[in-house]
Amino acid sequence: MVRVLLSLLVGLLVGAVIGLYLGWFQFPVQFVNSPAASLAERFQDDYVVMIASGYLKDGDLGGAVDRLRILGVANIPAYVQEVTERYISNSRDARDIGYLVALAEGLGRLTPIMQPYRQVAPGQ
Amino acid sequence: MSQASSGNLSPGTRSKYRRPRRPVSWMGLLLGLLIGIGGGLGYAWLVDPRVEFDTQPWQLEPNDRANYIVAITLGYAYDGDLGRAVERLLALNPPGQVRGDPIQEVADVACRLATSGYVDNSSGLRAIQQMMVFYQLQGRSGCADNLIPLNQDSAVVVTVEAATPTPQPPASKTPTPEAADRATPTPLSVVVPTAVPRSSYVVAAIRTYCSTTLSGLIEVRVQDFNGDGIPGQAVRVRWQDGDNRFVTGLKPERGPDYADFEMQADLSYTVELPGQSDPTQPLVAAPCTTEAGQQAITSYQVFFRPSG
Repeated sequence: MVRVLLSLLVGLLVGAVIGLYLGWFQFPVQFVNSPAASLAERFQDDYVVMIASGYLKDGDLGGAVDRLRILGVANIPAYVQEVTERYISNSRDARDIGYLVALAEGLGRLTPIMQPYRQVAPGQ
Repeated sequence: MSQASSGNLSPGTRSKYRRPRRPVSWMGLLLGLLIGIGGGLGYAWLVDPRVEFDTQPWQLEPNDRANYIVAITLGYAYDGDLGRAVERLLALNPPGQVRGDPIQEVADVACRLATSGYVDNSSGLRAIQQMMVFYQLQGRSGCADNLIPLNQDSAVVVTVEAATPTPQPPASKTPTPEAADRATPTPLSVVVPTAVPRSSYVVAAIRTYCSTTLSGLIEVRVQDFNGDGIPGQAVRVRWQDGDNRFVTGLKPERGPDYADFEMQADLSYTVELPGQSDPTQPLVAAPCTTEAGQQAITSYQVFFRPSG
């Protein structure tokens, strides 16, 4: 009887470890109906680029800010500035940087590092 | 007393009673494993799931998904990069899966937004119009087409000051006496009224379709007021790096008013009757999926009719 109980206990422990590994790493819960605020950074950045190009299209700064609200950031101008400067620092696509710089400038966040890109910003 | 006489027989050498006992109960171990795995999964999935991070667009809740789609079409409206827009739309599907037609989803979302408070401000209205332009160019349609007129402000309005004829003053009933020192009469200047320049033809309709046999084709038809074909009409197709001219009626089996042009994928083209019509809106040679699920390039039918 002790032998069976010991085997059961060992099985439980090993099984629990396997189950946790599978549940946390191999087949983790896939969330749906997630808010945009939880988007991966690269998709949030891409979203800001899209909104910035939309701003260049229609010049609607209020609309751009409204659309950025879904990202749940407290200070949208500061956030746009941060994304823009990160794009510049990481030497991302110059076209995207141009869009972001235009939006940052529209929000009053044009910083010295952005100045060179302002010249190539579309619509400038 | 021998064993035989006692009735007790010693077990054979291969009997389980002769084998040493295993330290492990396989049955117990297997049972423990099953229960452990089940408990571990339950804990990992239900009690303490992994903290959500690296969320992808396909996981967004419906409203934020709609906002993401709006952003994609806004981006396309500015840069006209169809490939990039489609790539972004595909990110709205789980990896390795495509749930339905991503461009039709744009039409469906535009329809939903058009019937909601989203259009209460000009910003939302413009966004839906951009979505409509996007999906209509790809040959899709939605209920927003019937609810919201497309913005025409992108059209360039040119105002031409037309000269108007100066009316002759009415003849006086009493003849004016001729003065003796009358100067030589100035010859009458005839003022010819100048008509406002206008195009002879207008684009009556642009239709799209998706076919593997007629993939990426611009079919042009030039017709008169009665819908009869006009052969020999010059047509010009322009794209970013060039243009091409051809005339209608060279394929009589398709009708005297017919001419066509084959597009290259992902380029955009305008069509016009040189000197007689304005160019059409850009026609994008975008990928499309036929009803049979085959890939092709969007084709267009462009109809020109006399203006006025």
